[in-house]
Amino acid sequence: MKKYETVIGLEVHIELATESKIFCSCSAKFGGEQNDHVCPACCGMPGMLPIVNKHVVDLGMTAGLMLNCDINRVTTFDKKSYYYPDLPCSYQTTQWFSPVAINGTVPIETSKGKKNIRIKQIHMEEDAGKLVHDDWTDTTLVDFNRTSVPLCEIVSQPDLSSAEEVVAYLEQLRSRLRFAKVSGCRMEQGSMRCDVNLSVREEGSDKLGVRTEMKNMNSISAITRAIEYETARHIDALENGTEELVQETRRWDDIKGKSYAMRNKETAGDYRYFPDPNIMPIVIDDEWFDRIKASLPELPEVKKARYISELGLTEYDAEQLTQSRAFCDCFEAACDECGQPKEVANWLISDCSNILNKRQMIADDLTIDGKALGKLIKLVLDGKVQRGNAKKILNTMFDEEIADIEQYAKDNNFIVSNDTGAIEAVIKAVVAEDTRSVNDYKSGKEKALMALFGKCMKQLKGNCSPDMLRELLIKAINEA
Amino acid sequence: MDRDVLRRLEKLNQLSLTEEQKDDFLAFFAKQEQEIDKLYTKDTEQVERMVHVMPIMTVVREDIEKKLFERDDLQKGAPETTDGYWQVPRTVD
Repeated sequence: MKKYETVIGLEVHIELATESKIFCSCSAKFGGEQNDHVCPACCGMPGMLPIVNKHVVDLGMTAGLMLNCDINRVTTFDKKSYYYPDLPCSYQTTQWFSPVAINGTVPIETSKGKKNIRIKQIHMEEDAGKLVHDDWTDTTLVDFNRTSVPLCEIVSQPDLSSAEEVVAYLEQLRSRLRFAKVSGCRMEQGSMRCDVNLSVREEGSDKLGVRTEMKNMNSISAITRAIEYETARHIDALENGTEELVQETRRWDDIKGKSYAMRNKETAGDYRYFPDPNIMPIVIDDEWFDRIKASLPELPEVKKARYISELGLTEYDAEQLTQSRAFCDCFEAACDECGQPKEVANWLISDCSNILNKRQMIADDLTIDGKALGKLIKLVLDGKVQRGNAKKILNTMFDEEIADIEQYAKDNNFIVSNDTGAIEAVIKAVVAEDTRSVNDYKSGKEKALMALFGKCMKQLKGNCSPDMLRELLIKAINEA
Repeated sequence: MDRDVLRRLEKLNQLSLTEEQKDDFLAFFAKQEQEIDKLYTKDTEQVERMVHVMPIMTVVREDIEKKLFERDDLQKGAPETTDGYWQVPRTVD
Protein backbone atom coordinates (compact mmCIF):
# COMPACT_ATOMS: atom_id res chain seq x y z
CA MET A 1 0.00 0.00 0.00
CA LYS A 2 1.17 3.53 -0.77
CA LYS A 3 1.93 5.87 2.09
CA TYR A 4 -0.60 8.65 2.63
CA GLU A 5 -0.69 11.82 4.69
CA THR A 6 -3.70 13.69 6.01
CA VAL A 7 -4.03 17.42 5.42
CA ILE A 8 -6.36 19.25 7.79
CA GLY A 9 -7.44 22.86 8.06
CA LEU A 10 -9.81 24.09 10.76
CA GLU A 11 -12.43 26.80 10.89
CA VAL A 12 -13.11 27.46 14.56
CA HIS A 13 -16.06 29.59 15.63
CA ILE A 14 -15.93 31.14 19.08
CA GLU A 15 -18.72 33.08 20.73
CA LEU A 16 -17.36 36.38 22.00
CA ALA A 17 -17.81 37.35 25.66
CA THR A 18 -20.01 40.42 25.25
CA GLU A 19 -23.13 41.66 27.01
CA SER A 20 -24.94 42.68 23.83
CA LYS A 21 -25.16 41.47 20.23
CA ILE A 22 -22.82 42.53 17.45
CA PHE A 23 -25.12 45.00 15.63
CA CYS A 24 -27.85 45.85 18.18
CA SER A 25 -28.24 46.24 21.96
CA CYS A 26 -30.17 43.00 22.56
CA SER A 27 -28.80 40.60 25.16
CA ALA A 28 -26.15 38.17 23.88
CA LYS A 29 -26.81 35.76 26.78
CA PHE A 30 -27.19 32.06 26.05
CA GLY A 31 -30.76 30.71 26.31
CA GLY A 32 -33.77 32.68 27.53
CA GLU A 33 -37.42 32.47 26.47
CA GLN A 34 -37.69 32.09 22.71
CA ASN A 35 -37.44 35.42 20.88
CA ASP A 36 -36.99 37.35 24.11
CA HIS A 37 -33.60 38.81 23.09
CA VAL A 38 -34.73 40.37 19.84
CA CYS A 39 -35.38 43.73 18.19
CA PRO A 40 -36.21 44.94 14.67
CA ALA A 41 -32.48 44.97 13.76
CA CYS A 42 -31.71 41.33 14.61
CA CYS A 43 -35.11 40.25 13.24
CA GLY A 44 -34.11 41.70 9.88
CA MET A 45 -37.02 44.12 9.65
CA PRO A 46 -36.86 46.49 6.68
CA GLY A 47 -35.04 49.77 7.19
CA MET A 48 -33.15 48.76 10.34
CA LEU A 49 -29.46 49.59 10.31
CA PRO A 50 -26.65 47.79 12.16
CA ILE A 51 -24.45 49.66 14.66
CA VAL A 52 -21.22 47.85 15.47
CA ASN A 53 -20.50 46.89 19.10
CA LYS A 54 -17.07 48.34 19.90
CA HIS A 55 -16.24 45.55 22.34
CA VAL A 56 -16.62 43.00 19.53
CA VAL A 57 -13.83 44.78 17.66
CA ASP A 58 -11.79 44.90 20.91
CA LEU A 59 -12.15 41.14 21.28
CA GLY A 60 -11.47 40.49 17.59
CA MET A 61 -8.22 42.42 17.89
CA THR A 62 -7.37 40.69 21.18
CA ALA A 63 -7.90 37.27 19.59
CA GLY A 64 -5.68 38.32 16.69
CA LEU A 65 -2.87 39.51 18.92
CA MET A 66 -3.08 36.43 21.17
CA LEU A 67 -2.60 34.30 18.02
CA ASN A 68 0.31 36.39 16.71
CA CYS A 69 -1.70 37.93 13.85
CA ASP A 70 -1.32 41.23 12.02
CA ILE A 71 -4.25 43.54 12.69
CA ASN A 72 -5.92 45.18 9.71
CA ARG A 73 -6.10 48.83 10.78
CA VAL A 74 -9.01 49.36 8.39
CA THR A 75 -11.45 46.50 8.72
CA THR A 76 -14.75 46.13 6.89
CA PHE A 77 -17.93 44.08 6.99
CA ASP A 78 -19.41 42.24 4.02
CA LYS A 79 -22.63 40.46 3.18
CA LYS A 80 -22.60 36.72 2.51
CA SER A 81 -25.66 35.36 0.70
CA TYR A 82 -27.50 32.85 2.84
CA TYR A 83 -31.10 31.78 2.23
CA TYR A 84 -32.21 30.14 5.41
CA PRO A 85 -34.74 31.39 7.96
CA ASP A 86 -32.35 31.41 10.95
CA LEU A 87 -30.84 34.60 9.47
CA PRO A 88 -33.79 36.78 8.54
CA CYS A 89 -31.93 39.19 6.22
CA SER A 90 -31.12 36.37 3.75
CA TYR A 91 -27.49 37.22 4.23
CA GLN A 92 -24.95 36.92 7.01
CA THR A 93 -22.96 39.99 7.93
CA THR A 94 -19.37 38.80 8.12
CA GLN A 95 -15.90 39.87 6.99
CA TRP A 96 -14.38 38.76 3.73
CA PHE A 97 -12.39 41.51 2.03
CA SER A 98 -10.64 43.00 5.06
CA PRO A 99 -10.96 40.79 8.17
CA VAL A 100 -9.84 42.12 11.53
CA ALA A 101 -6.73 39.89 11.78
CA ILE A 102 -4.56 37.97 9.30
CA ASN A 103 -1.36 35.90 9.08
CA GLY A 104 -0.95 34.50 12.60
CA THR A 105 0.76 31.47 14.11
CA VAL A 106 -0.08 29.14 16.96
CA PRO A 107 2.69 26.96 18.40
CA ILE A 108 1.70 23.40 19.29
CA GLU A 109 3.53 20.48 20.84
CA THR A 110 2.68 16.81 20.27
CA SER A 111 4.44 13.47 20.66
CA LYS A 112 6.14 14.26 17.32
CA GLY A 113 7.59 17.52 18.60
CA LYS A 114 6.93 21.24 18.17
CA LYS A 115 5.23 22.84 15.18
CA ASN A 116 3.71 26.19 14.22
CA ILE A 117 0.21 26.24 12.76
CA ARG A 118 -0.42 29.23 10.52
CA ILE A 119 -3.60 31.26 10.92
CA LYS A 120 -4.96 32.58 7.63
CA GLN A 121 -7.41 35.04 9.13
CA ILE A 122 -9.77 35.87 11.98
CA HIS A 123 -13.03 37.49 11.05
CA MET A 124 -15.91 38.86 13.10
CA GLU A 125 -19.44 37.86 12.17
CA GLU A 126 -22.94 37.29 13.47
CA ASP A 127 -24.29 33.92 14.60
CA ALA A 128 -27.48 32.45 13.15
CA GLY A 129 -30.69 31.81 15.10
CA LYS A 130 -32.15 28.48 16.12
CA LEU A 131 -34.61 26.43 14.09
CA VAL A 132 -36.94 23.83 15.53
CA HIS A 133 -38.55 21.51 13.00
CA ASP A 134 -42.11 20.76 14.10
CA ASP A 135 -43.18 17.39 12.69
CA TRP A 136 -46.74 17.79 13.98
CA THR A 137 -47.51 20.88 11.88
CA ASP A 138 -44.79 20.19 9.28
CA THR A 139 -43.46 23.70 9.79
CA THR A 140 -40.26 25.24 11.11
CA LEU A 141 -40.24 27.34 14.28
CA VAL A 142 -37.73 30.18 14.42
CA ASP A 143 -36.01 31.60 17.51
CA PHE A 144 -33.87 34.69 16.81
CA ASN A 145 -32.30 34.93 20.31
CA ARG A 146 -28.93 33.71 18.98
CA THR A 147 -29.18 35.68 15.74
CA SER A 148 -26.47 38.37 15.68
CA VAL A 149 -24.68 37.07 18.77
CA PRO A 150 -21.05 37.97 18.01
CA LEU A 151 -18.61 35.34 16.79
CA CYS A 152 -15.04 35.23 15.63
CA GLU A 153 -14.11 32.63 13.05
CA ILE A 154 -10.48 31.55 13.19
CA VAL A 155 -9.36 30.04 9.89
CA SER A 156 -6.15 28.01 9.91
CA GLN A 157 -4.00 27.12 6.94
CA PRO A 158 -4.04 23.37 6.11
CA ASP A 159 -1.01 22.76 8.34
CA LEU A 160 -2.44 20.04 10.58
CA SER A 161 -1.84 16.40 9.81
CA SER A 162 -3.37 14.28 12.60
CA ALA A 163 -6.07 14.20 15.24
CA GLU A 164 -3.37 14.65 17.89
CA GLU A 165 -2.21 17.90 16.26
CA VAL A 166 -5.80 19.12 15.93
CA VAL A 167 -6.42 18.51 19.63
CA ALA A 168 -3.17 20.29 20.58
CA TYR A 169 -4.12 23.23 18.33
CA LEU A 170 -7.65 23.50 19.77
CA GLU A 171 -6.29 23.35 23.32
CA GLN A 172 -3.83 26.16 22.53
CA LEU A 173 -6.60 28.29 21.02
CA ARG A 174 -8.87 27.63 23.98
CA SER A 175 -6.18 28.38 26.55
CA ARG A 176 -5.05 31.65 24.89
CA LEU A 177 -8.55 32.94 24.22
CA ARG A 178 -9.85 32.08 27.67
CA PHE A 179 -6.82 33.77 29.23
CA ALA A 180 -7.53 36.93 27.28
CA LYS A 181 -11.25 36.68 28.23
CA VAL A 182 -12.20 36.71 24.55
CA SER A 183 -14.54 33.74 24.94
CA GLY A 184 -15.46 31.02 27.40
CA CYS A 185 -14.62 28.54 24.57
CA ARG A 186 -16.96 25.94 26.08
CA MET A 187 -17.57 23.32 23.43
CA GLU A 188 -20.33 21.65 25.45
CA GLN A 189 -22.29 24.92 25.45
CA GLY A 190 -21.60 25.65 21.78
CA SER A 191 -19.41 28.70 22.45
CA MET A 192 -16.59 26.94 20.54
CA ARG A 193 -17.47 24.99 17.38
CA CYS A 194 -15.22 23.55 14.78
CA ASP A 195 -15.46 22.77 11.05
CA VAL A 196 -12.86 20.22 9.95
CA ASN A 197 -11.61 20.38 6.34
CA LEU A 198 -9.74 17.21 5.50
CA SER A 199 -8.06 15.66 2.49
CA VAL A 200 -5.57 12.87 1.96
CA ARG A 201 -2.65 12.74 -0.46
CA GLU A 202 0.32 10.52 -1.20
CA GLU A 203 3.19 11.25 1.16
CA GLY A 204 5.57 13.78 -0.39
CA SER A 205 3.06 15.02 -2.98
CA ASP A 206 2.51 18.78 -3.14
CA LYS A 207 -0.93 18.42 -4.71
CA LEU A 208 -3.88 18.49 -2.31
CA GLY A 209 -6.49 15.72 -2.51
CA VAL A 210 -10.28 16.07 -2.66
CA ARG A 211 -11.41 17.99 0.41
CA THR A 212 -14.43 17.24 2.56
CA GLU A 213 -15.75 19.39 5.38
CA MET A 214 -17.38 18.24 8.59
CA LYS A 215 -19.32 21.07 10.21
CA ASN A 216 -20.19 22.09 13.76
CA MET A 217 -18.11 19.57 15.66
CA ASN A 218 -18.46 20.35 19.33
CA SER A 219 -16.36 17.93 21.34
CA ILE A 220 -12.70 17.01 21.26
CA SER A 221 -13.47 13.29 21.34
CA ALA A 222 -15.93 13.57 18.42
CA ILE A 223 -13.37 15.55 16.41
CA THR A 224 -10.72 12.90 17.06
CA ARG A 225 -12.99 10.04 16.00
CA ALA A 226 -14.28 11.94 12.97
CA ILE A 227 -10.76 12.68 11.72
CA GLU A 228 -9.71 9.06 12.14
CA TYR A 229 -12.85 7.79 10.34
CA GLU A 230 -12.64 10.30 7.50
CA THR A 231 -8.91 9.66 6.94
CA ALA A 232 -9.57 5.92 6.68
CA ARG A 233 -12.51 6.53 4.29
CA HIS A 234 -10.37 8.71 2.00
CA ILE A 235 -7.48 6.21 1.96
CA ASP A 236 -9.88 3.35 1.27
CA ALA A 237 -11.39 5.28 -1.65
CA LEU A 238 -7.96 6.10 -3.08
CA GLU A 239 -6.46 2.67 -2.53
CA ASN A 240 -9.39 0.39 -3.32
CA GLY A 241 -11.71 2.62 -5.33
CA THR A 242 -14.58 1.91 -2.91
CA GLU A 243 -16.20 5.24 -3.75
CA GLU A 244 -15.56 8.43 -5.69
CA LEU A 245 -14.40 11.24 -3.42
CA VAL A 246 -16.21 14.51 -4.07
CA GLN A 247 -15.84 17.94 -2.52
CA GLU A 248 -18.76 18.10 -0.12
CA THR A 249 -19.99 19.00 3.34
CA ARG A 250 -20.52 15.98 5.60
CA ARG A 251 -22.29 15.42 8.90
CA TRP A 252 -20.59 13.42 11.66
CA ASP A 253 -22.81 10.97 13.58
CA ASP A 254 -20.90 10.40 16.81
CA ILE A 255 -23.17 7.59 18.00
CA LYS A 256 -22.79 5.54 14.82
CA GLY A 257 -19.18 6.66 14.36
CA LYS A 258 -19.76 7.52 10.68
CA SER A 259 -19.89 10.60 8.47
CA TYR A 260 -22.66 11.20 5.95
CA ALA A 261 -22.84 13.44 2.88
CA MET A 262 -25.00 16.54 3.51
CA ARG A 263 -24.55 18.70 0.43
CA ASN A 264 -22.02 19.71 -2.19
CA LYS A 265 -19.52 22.09 -0.71
CA GLU A 266 -20.13 25.70 -1.68
CA THR A 267 -17.21 27.70 -3.04
CA ALA A 268 -16.51 31.29 -2.04
CA GLY A 269 -18.05 32.48 -5.32
CA ASP A 270 -21.37 30.86 -4.43
CA TYR A 271 -21.69 33.10 -1.39
CA ARG A 272 -21.49 36.25 -3.57
CA TYR A 273 -19.76 38.33 -0.91
CA PHE A 274 -20.12 42.06 -1.32
CA PRO A 275 -19.20 45.02 0.90
CA ASP A 276 -21.97 45.88 3.36
CA PRO A 277 -23.06 49.40 2.36
CA ASN A 278 -24.71 49.88 5.78
CA ILE A 279 -21.50 49.58 7.77
CA MET A 280 -18.73 52.03 7.01
CA PRO A 281 -15.12 50.90 7.37
CA ILE A 282 -13.82 50.65 10.94
CA VAL A 283 -10.54 52.48 11.40
CA ILE A 284 -8.39 51.22 14.26
CA ASP A 285 -6.23 54.17 15.21
CA ASP A 286 -2.98 53.97 17.22
CA GLU A 287 -4.66 54.82 20.52
CA TRP A 288 -7.21 52.01 20.11
CA PHE A 289 -4.58 49.51 18.95
CA ASP A 290 -2.17 50.40 21.78
CA ARG A 291 -4.93 50.12 24.40
CA ILE A 292 -5.76 46.58 23.28
CA LYS A 293 -2.10 45.60 23.04
CA ALA A 294 -1.47 46.87 26.59
CA SER A 295 -4.42 44.87 27.91
CA LEU A 296 -3.09 41.50 26.72
CA PRO A 297 -2.42 39.03 29.54
CA GLU A 298 0.79 37.13 30.08
CA LEU A 299 0.60 33.96 27.96
CA PRO A 300 -0.16 30.77 29.91
CA GLU A 301 3.16 29.13 28.99
CA VAL A 302 5.10 32.24 30.09
CA LYS A 303 3.19 32.32 33.36
CA LYS A 304 3.88 28.62 33.92
CA ALA A 305 7.62 29.09 33.46
CA ARG A 306 7.58 32.05 35.88
CA TYR A 307 5.65 30.10 38.54
CA ILE A 308 8.33 27.39 38.40
CA SER A 309 11.40 29.61 38.26
CA GLU A 310 10.34 32.51 40.52
CA LEU A 311 7.81 30.98 42.88
CA GLY A 312 9.30 27.50 43.19
CA LEU A 313 6.21 25.56 42.15
CA THR A 314 6.51 22.08 40.71
CA GLU A 315 5.91 21.52 36.99
CA TYR A 316 2.65 19.73 37.88
CA ASP A 317 1.31 22.54 40.11
CA ALA A 318 2.25 25.24 37.59
CA GLU A 319 0.58 23.27 34.77
CA GLN A 320 -2.60 22.79 36.80
CA LEU A 321 -2.86 26.47 37.75
CA THR A 322 -2.19 27.82 34.26
CA GLN A 323 -5.06 25.84 32.77
CA SER A 324 -7.31 28.69 33.85
CA ARG A 325 -7.05 32.47 34.00
CA ALA A 326 -9.40 32.52 37.02
CA PHE A 327 -7.07 30.17 38.93
CA CYS A 328 -4.01 32.28 38.01
CA ASP A 329 -5.68 35.55 39.06
CA CYS A 330 -6.81 34.03 42.35
CA PHE A 331 -3.41 32.41 42.92
CA GLU A 332 -1.48 35.64 42.39
CA ALA A 333 -3.81 37.70 44.61
CA ALA A 334 -3.64 35.08 47.38
CA CYS A 335 0.17 34.90 47.17
CA ASP A 336 0.38 38.69 47.49
CA GLU A 337 -1.63 38.39 50.70
CA CYS A 338 0.03 35.42 52.42
CA GLY A 339 3.36 35.01 50.60
CA GLN A 340 3.09 31.20 50.49
CA PRO A 341 2.87 30.10 46.80
CA LYS A 342 3.10 26.36 47.45
CA GLU A 343 0.40 26.50 50.13
CA VAL A 344 -1.90 28.60 47.89
CA ALA A 345 -1.34 26.21 44.96
CA ASN A 346 -2.36 23.27 47.18
CA TRP A 347 -5.55 24.99 48.31
CA LEU A 348 -6.51 25.84 44.74
CA ILE A 349 -5.58 22.57 43.06
CA SER A 350 -6.98 20.38 45.80
CA ASP A 351 -9.68 22.10 47.88
CA CYS A 352 -11.05 24.63 45.38
CA SER A 353 -11.05 22.05 42.56
CA ASN A 354 -12.99 19.61 44.78
CA ILE A 355 -15.62 22.22 45.52
CA LEU A 356 -15.88 23.16 41.83
CA ASN A 357 -16.24 19.48 40.86
CA LYS A 358 -18.97 18.93 43.41
CA ARG A 359 -20.83 21.90 41.99
CA GLN A 360 -20.26 20.71 38.38
CA MET A 361 -18.30 23.86 37.61
CA ILE A 362 -15.03 24.32 35.74
CA ALA A 363 -11.88 26.18 36.82
CA ASP A 364 -12.88 29.31 34.90
CA ASP A 365 -16.06 29.50 37.01
CA LEU A 366 -13.95 30.25 40.11
CA THR A 367 -15.04 33.63 41.46
CA ILE A 368 -13.74 33.62 45.04
CA ASP A 369 -11.65 36.62 46.05
CA GLY A 370 -7.94 35.76 45.89
CA LYS A 371 -7.07 38.20 48.68
CA ALA A 372 -9.66 36.58 50.96
CA LEU A 373 -8.21 33.14 50.18
CA GLY A 374 -4.75 34.46 51.05
CA LYS A 375 -6.05 35.77 54.40
CA LEU A 376 -7.72 32.44 55.15
CA ILE A 377 -4.50 30.53 54.41
CA LYS A 378 -2.60 32.95 56.65
CA LEU A 379 -5.02 32.27 59.51
CA VAL A 380 -4.37 28.53 59.10
CA LEU A 381 -0.59 28.94 58.93
CA ASP A 382 -0.64 31.18 62.02
CA GLY A 383 -2.55 28.48 63.89
CA LYS A 384 -5.58 30.71 64.37
CA VAL A 385 -8.04 28.53 62.40
CA GLN A 386 -7.94 24.75 62.09
CA ARG A 387 -7.63 23.41 58.53
CA GLY A 388 -10.98 21.61 58.77
CA ASN A 389 -12.76 24.79 59.79
CA ALA A 390 -10.91 26.75 57.11
CA LYS A 391 -12.37 24.35 54.52
CA LYS A 392 -15.85 25.14 55.83
CA ILE A 393 -15.13 28.86 55.43
CA LEU A 394 -13.79 28.23 51.91
CA ASN A 395 -16.99 26.45 50.98
CA THR A 396 -18.99 29.46 52.16
CA MET A 397 -16.77 31.75 50.08
CA PHE A 398 -18.14 30.04 46.96
CA ASP A 399 -21.66 31.14 47.92
CA GLU A 400 -21.12 34.56 49.40
CA GLU A 401 -18.52 37.29 49.52
CA ILE A 402 -16.86 37.50 52.93
CA ALA A 403 -15.51 40.99 53.42
CA ASP A 404 -13.41 40.25 56.53
CA ILE A 405 -12.28 36.64 56.85
CA GLU A 406 -10.91 36.93 60.41
CA GLN A 407 -14.08 38.64 61.66
CA TYR A 408 -16.18 35.95 59.95
CA ALA A 409 -14.09 33.25 61.66
CA LYS A 410 -14.59 34.97 65.04
CA ASP A 411 -18.33 35.47 64.51
CA ASN A 412 -18.76 31.81 63.66
CA ASN A 413 -16.54 30.43 66.46
CA PHE A 414 -13.85 29.17 64.09
CA ILE A 415 -10.95 30.87 65.89
CA VAL A 416 -8.72 28.46 67.81
CA SER A 417 -9.25 28.90 71.52
CA ASN A 418 -6.33 29.63 73.83
CA ASP A 419 -8.56 29.26 76.85
CA THR A 420 -6.78 26.36 78.59
CA GLY A 421 -9.42 26.32 81.31
CA ALA A 422 -12.18 25.53 78.81
CA ILE A 423 -10.01 22.92 77.08
CA GLU A 424 -9.11 21.24 80.38
CA ALA A 425 -12.77 21.10 81.34
CA VAL A 426 -13.61 19.23 78.14
CA ILE A 427 -10.63 16.88 78.62
CA LYS A 428 -11.64 16.18 82.21
CA ALA A 429 -15.17 15.19 81.16
CA VAL A 430 -13.94 12.94 78.30
CA VAL A 431 -11.34 11.22 80.46
CA ALA A 432 -13.89 10.60 83.21
CA GLU A 433 -16.39 9.14 80.72
CA ASP A 434 -14.10 6.92 78.61
CA THR A 435 -12.12 5.09 81.28
CA ARG A 436 -11.56 2.12 78.97
CA SER A 437 -9.55 4.21 76.47
CA VAL A 438 -7.66 5.82 79.32
CA ASN A 439 -6.66 2.39 80.70
CA ASP A 440 -5.80 1.11 77.20
CA TYR A 441 -3.46 4.07 76.66
CA LYS A 442 -1.86 3.55 80.05
CA SER A 443 -1.24 -0.08 79.15
CA GLY A 444 0.65 0.98 76.00
CA LYS A 445 -2.04 1.18 73.29
CA GLU A 446 -1.13 4.43 71.45
CA LYS A 447 -4.29 4.28 69.32
CA ALA A 448 -6.44 4.82 72.40
CA LEU A 449 -4.99 8.32 72.72
CA MET A 450 -6.29 9.19 69.26
CA ALA A 451 -9.80 8.08 70.23
CA LEU A 452 -9.74 10.39 73.25
CA PHE A 453 -8.14 13.18 71.20
CA GLY A 454 -10.91 12.89 68.60
CA LYS A 455 -13.67 13.08 71.19
CA CYS A 456 -12.13 16.19 72.75
CA MET A 457 -11.60 17.89 69.40
CA LYS A 458 -15.19 17.14 68.41
CA GLN A 459 -16.52 18.75 71.57
CA LEU A 460 -14.23 21.74 71.02
CA LYS A 461 -15.55 21.99 67.42
CA GLY A 462 -12.01 21.94 66.13
CA ASN A 463 -11.15 25.27 67.69
CA CYS A 464 -8.07 24.17 69.54
CA SER A 465 -4.41 23.82 68.73
CA PRO A 466 -3.76 20.07 68.19
CA ASP A 467 -0.38 20.31 69.95
CA MET A 468 -1.87 22.01 72.97
CA LEU A 469 -4.73 19.53 73.16
CA ARG A 470 -2.39 16.56 72.91
CA GLU A 471 -0.14 17.90 75.64
CA LEU A 472 -3.02 18.69 78.03
CA LEU A 473 -4.72 15.34 77.30
CA ILE A 474 -1.62 13.26 78.10
CA LYS A 475 -1.15 15.24 81.29
CA ALA A 476 -4.78 14.63 82.33
CA ILE A 477 -4.54 10.86 81.58
CA ASN A 478 -1.38 10.53 83.62
CA GLU A 479 -3.03 12.30 86.51
CA ALA A 480 -6.22 10.25 86.23
CA MET B 1 -19.92 36.04 -18.07
CA ASP B 2 -21.36 33.26 -20.17
CA ARG B 3 -24.62 31.34 -20.25
CA ASP B 4 -23.35 28.70 -17.75
CA VAL B 5 -22.30 31.28 -15.17
CA LEU B 6 -25.61 33.08 -15.60
CA ARG B 7 -27.46 29.80 -15.06
CA ARG B 8 -25.49 29.24 -11.85
CA LEU B 9 -26.29 32.74 -10.61
CA GLU B 10 -29.94 32.27 -11.52
CA LYS B 11 -30.05 29.14 -9.40
CA LEU B 12 -28.19 30.69 -6.44
CA ASN B 13 -30.48 33.72 -6.44
CA GLN B 14 -33.57 31.56 -6.84
CA LEU B 15 -34.56 33.41 -10.02
CA SER B 16 -36.29 32.16 -13.15
CA LEU B 17 -35.26 34.23 -16.16
CA THR B 18 -36.77 34.09 -19.64
CA GLU B 19 -34.43 33.54 -22.60
CA GLU B 20 -34.95 37.19 -23.55
CA GLN B 21 -33.95 38.37 -20.07
CA LYS B 22 -30.90 36.14 -20.20
CA ASP B 23 -29.84 37.69 -23.53
CA ASP B 24 -30.31 41.16 -22.04
CA PHE B 25 -28.22 40.28 -18.97
CA LEU B 26 -25.43 38.78 -21.04
CA ALA B 27 -25.30 41.89 -23.23
CA PHE B 28 -25.29 44.09 -20.13
CA PHE B 29 -22.47 42.15 -18.45
CA ALA B 30 -20.42 42.07 -21.68
CA LYS B 31 -20.53 45.87 -21.73
CA GLN B 32 -19.60 46.11 -18.04
CA GLU B 33 -16.67 43.78 -18.56
CA GLN B 34 -15.38 46.04 -21.33
CA GLU B 35 -15.49 48.98 -18.91
CA ILE B 36 -13.70 46.99 -16.21
CA ASP B 37 -11.05 45.92 -18.72
CA LYS B 38 -10.33 49.60 -19.36
CA LEU B 39 -9.55 50.02 -15.64
CA TYR B 40 -6.98 47.24 -15.81
CA THR B 41 -5.02 49.23 -18.39
CA LYS B 42 -4.34 51.99 -15.81
CA ASP B 43 -1.34 51.98 -13.50
CA THR B 44 -2.75 51.95 -9.93
CA GLU B 45 0.54 51.16 -8.17
CA GLN B 46 0.60 54.49 -6.33
CA VAL B 47 -3.16 54.72 -5.72
CA GLU B 48 -4.27 54.18 -2.15
CA ARG B 49 -6.79 51.38 -1.70
CA MET B 50 -10.35 52.62 -1.44
CA VAL B 51 -12.35 50.82 1.20
CA HIS B 52 -15.61 52.63 0.69
CA VAL B 53 -17.11 54.95 -1.92
CA MET B 54 -17.79 57.58 0.76
CA PRO B 55 -14.94 59.12 2.78
CA ILE B 56 -16.65 58.35 6.09
CA MET B 57 -15.95 55.85 8.84
CA THR B 58 -18.35 53.86 10.95
CA VAL B 59 -19.68 54.86 14.36
CA VAL B 60 -19.36 52.17 17.02
CA ARG B 61 -21.40 51.79 20.20
CA GLU B 62 -20.51 50.68 23.73
CA ASP B 63 -21.31 47.11 24.78
CA ILE B 64 -24.39 47.87 26.87
CA GLU B 65 -27.36 45.54 26.85
CA LYS B 66 -30.77 47.20 26.47
CA LYS B 67 -34.17 45.63 25.98
CA LEU B 68 -36.03 48.02 23.73
CA PHE B 69 -38.79 45.86 22.26
CA GLU B 70 -41.27 43.26 23.44
CA ARG B 71 -41.65 40.04 21.51
CA ASP B 72 -45.42 40.41 21.10
CA ASP B 73 -45.01 43.83 19.49
CA LEU B 74 -42.42 42.48 17.07
CA GLN B 75 -44.60 39.55 16.10
CA LYS B 76 -47.76 41.61 15.46
CA GLY B 77 -47.16 41.65 11.71
CA ALA B 78 -46.07 38.02 11.45
CA PRO B 79 -48.26 35.77 9.28
CA GLU B 80 -47.86 32.84 11.71
CA THR B 81 -46.47 32.48 15.24
CA THR B 82 -46.71 29.78 17.88
CA ASP B 83 -45.49 29.75 21.51
CA GLY B 84 -43.39 32.83 20.85
CA TYR B 85 -41.74 31.38 17.73
CA TRP B 86 -42.07 32.70 14.22
CA GLN B 87 -43.59 29.85 12.22
CA VAL B 88 -42.38 29.39 8.65
CA PRO B 89 -42.75 26.73 5.92
CA ARG B 90 -40.65 23.68 6.74
CA THR B 91 -37.03 24.02 5.70
CA VAL B 92 -34.85 21.01 5.11
CA ASP B 93 -31.09 21.25 4.92
